[in-house]
Amino acid sequence: MGTAKAALEWHGSTMLRHVTGVVGRVVDAPVVVVRAPGQELPELDPRVQVHQDPEEGHGPMQGLAVGLSVAAEHAEHAFVCSTDLPFLHAAFVSAVLRGFDPAGVPADEADPDVVLPFVRGYRQPMAAGYRTDLAPRIAKLVAAQHLRPAHLFEECHVRRLDDAALLADRRLAAVDPELESVINVNEPDDYEEARSRPAPEIVVERYGVLATGSGGARGPRTVRAANIGEAAAQVGLALDGHILAAVNGDQIRGDGQLPLLAGDSVAFISADAGG
Amino acid sequence: MGDVTTPPGGYFGQALVVDVTDATTRTLPLPDGVLRDYLGGAGLGVWLMNELAPDGVDALDAQAPLAFVFSPLVGTPLTTSAKFAVVAKSPLTGLLTDALASSHFAIAGKFTGHDAIVLTGRAETPSTLLIDEEGIRLVDASELWGMSASDAEEAVRTRFGRNWRAASIGPAGEQQVRYATISHDGRHAGRGGLGAVMGAKNVKALAVKGRRRVDLADRAAVLAAAKDLRGRSFGPATAKYRELGTLSNLLAFNAISTLPTRNFQTATFAEAPLLSAEDLAESRSVAKKSCASCTIGCEHIYASKGNKKVRVEYENVFALGPMCGVSDPDLVLEASALCDDLGLDTISSGGTIAWAMECVERGLLDAPWLRFGDGQALLRVLDEIGARTGVGALLAEGSRHAAEVVGGGSSAFAPHVKGMEMPGYEPRTMQSMALGLAVNARGADHNRSGAYEADLKGDLDRVLGTDDHVRAAIETEDRAAVMDSMILCKFLRGVFTDPFDEWAGLLAKVTGWDVDADELHETARRIVLAKRAFNLRQGWTTADDWLPERFLDTPIELESGRVATLPAERLRAMIATYYAERGLDSAGRPAAVPTASGTEPTT
Repeated sequence: MGTAKAALEWHGSTMLRHVTGVVGRVVDAPVVVVRAPGQELPELDPRVQVHQDPEEGHGPMQGLAVGLSVAAEHAEHAFVCSTDLPFLHAAFVSAVLRGFDPAGVPADEADPDVVLPFVRGYRQPMAAGYRTDLAPRIAKLVAAQHLRPAHLFEECHVRRLDDAALLADRRLAAVDPELESVINVNEPDDYEEARSRPAPEIVVERYGVLATGSGGARGPRTVRAANIGEAAAQVGLALDGHILAAVNGDQIRGDGQLPLLAGDSVAFISADAGG
Repeated sequence: MGDVTTPPGGYFGQALVVDVTDATTRTLPLPDGVLRDYLGGAGLGVWLMNELAPDGVDALDAQAPLAFVFSPLVGTPLTTSAKFAVVAKSPLTGLLTDALASSHFAIAGKFTGHDAIVLTGRAETPSTLLIDEEGIRLVDASELWGMSASDAEEAVRTRFGRNWRAASIGPAGEQQVRYATISHDGRHAGRGGLGAVMGAKNVKALAVKGRRRVDLADRAAVLAAAKDLRGRSFGPATAKYRELGTLSNLLAFNAISTLPTRNFQTATFAEAPLLSAEDLAESRSVAKKSCASCTIGCEHIYASKGNKKVRVEYENVFALGPMCGVSDPDLVLEASALCDDLGLDTISSGGTIAWAMECVERGLLDAPWLRFGDGQALLRVLDEIGARTGVGALLAEGSRHAAEVVGGGSSAFAPHVKGMEMPGYEPRTMQSMALGLAVNARGADHNRSGAYEADLKGDLDRVLGTDDHVRAAIETEDRAAVMDSMILCKFLRGVFTDPFDEWAGLLAKVTGWDVDADELHETARRIVLAKRAFNLRQGWTTADDWLPERFLDTPIELESGRVATLPAERLRAMIATYYAERGLDSAGRPAAVPTASGTEPTT
């Protein structure tokens, strides 16, 4: 690429901030970023934890071991991905993590160590779910110079999710029918193509004085915006500390760089809420 | 105990205690140390209760004191400072209740020369108590009995003169409905049944008049601070209150699944837009008003179809609208006006009625006409509650007591904490608030806790309560303790960038104390613990710090698909953290609370 992928510009933010923001929208525990020794990272949400590979040159397995060992303090399972997935959708993350749910799963697929998407026939180890207690086993593999994820998959229980299995998730089928969540950007042209796409379509509604004070029509509006800051600007608002946003009626945030995704709805409310 | 002859700036250093049984009075000195420790308003009120209320006294007993408490800021030009607290043992909870109101009553009452006026005893006949600088008079008020509070207030001023200010009760207070209010100028000291306490004393109205001014330690500095604060009060932090009022919460809360609906069975109300401030302001707004000495002007007056003019707040519309499933704005506004006339707390009214509607739905209560969504039934049952007739006789006792009578598992969905009905914040989707509601001394309360602020700020996952939520709830509780005691309106809270420092600065200018932020933090803690100590003496137990079962065993689904649950073990863990952080023992008891008259043992 010529530029660190993590720092690539993404709709006024960076690729890394975008991807960590998407994952952060789904999981309860902290998002963990594992960087190479001495690697500089762009600014991140303060809630993101940054850890470091002990040694350079051991590929993704090293980062996987470090990240899972940190995540193990918070959860049994983790979604693991690379930083270069510009179209990663929260619904994809949810669908993968639901792969650990034993409900409705044949007995031979129950209790997997890894939930591994196979999209268009290609496995996606860097957009997959892992049991966090795999960390010591992965560390052993790294120590034995077995540095490819395939080495791990050979010795643990992998549940495969092919296109049909992924798209059986109705929410994912609605918002990412082509499973573009796994598209990565390896070359400058990939990045240019991805960046040239319009921002996702979302529905925005302003409430209270944010609606009545705007002079425009009230009610929901459809706009294109890649993050909350862009969405606010589209409806004439500035995130000045007195305005907050709730995405899909869930978490309330004032962070303008929080990613927005296809199918999202955003409610802008006064930060001075309450009675 | 300090020098009682030269009180600090902003104070008279004394409370007037009136026994309305025989119209006798005594002056209770308020030493500098007490004033500095408890400030005024809710804080000084709990000190007075700890001093004057007999242990275990029935809230409606003649001996139970009823305190009208002013503050050092009352009478200064500081915006929103014309406030008073009414404090007593609550007939609804059996524990402490303190309710604030804003009006000229605060100024006139303080300028009688007292930092607080306390009523005890029981008048032989319905009476009006008049207090001015000359003394007190207890006059017959039989002709006022049955009047609304506002009519009684007007009658008092017509008879005795326009310069009198009267706090009055309505028919519900006379009937000792356990959530009756005391009101002045349309503003209610609303929560906890203070109107019933006043009614039990046979006092229809307390009228005050005075011109006695207090000294201020640094008058020029107070004037400069007032000018600065007034300027800031017009900024973006108060825009919501100025332009639409608190009702603007309704649609926003609906969008984030925190709008209690049909007795907390859901957290969204499909018909919410019909009751929204955004729409009502366009179609029905007839006036905006300010409390005395206030530059914000949060009161939004709307007209109903019957041309009744109604003060509208989020809490009364939530409680009489979505909570009861009623979506017709005319009927909700009429119900709100009816509560004003009867002198009923709208939150407890709505909560108790919504519980009854669910009981009817489940076949537990024989009042088939009382159905969710039926606005006419809402008006009828409010009348019955105010008069204690029909099913209203039961519902006048509040949802906790009514559920004990009705049984059938209905306590699980009686929407109260410690007997006080819940305000319009869904605890499963606001878990800082869940903790705040559970542990608050007053019961289910959004003004003494205010933990919803933490949930709405976005720093915490609002549906997954942790120790961080507890600490955030403690912080809001501390802020409320100081604001409610100084007293400043909470709608100003957003204009303070460093609140404790700025409040200490204001207090120093008024009183002359060398008070700082650290001292105010300690003051907040003292006030919170003093309330807990009072409650302990009145029979509070650890089991009172809890939420109804509905919130612990029934999930709520957010629009995102995420499911909000509040398992009992999570709430228990949060409460344990609260106790530990507050320095309480594992049962939630303070070890000791110092008062001016010594150390108050609590066990």
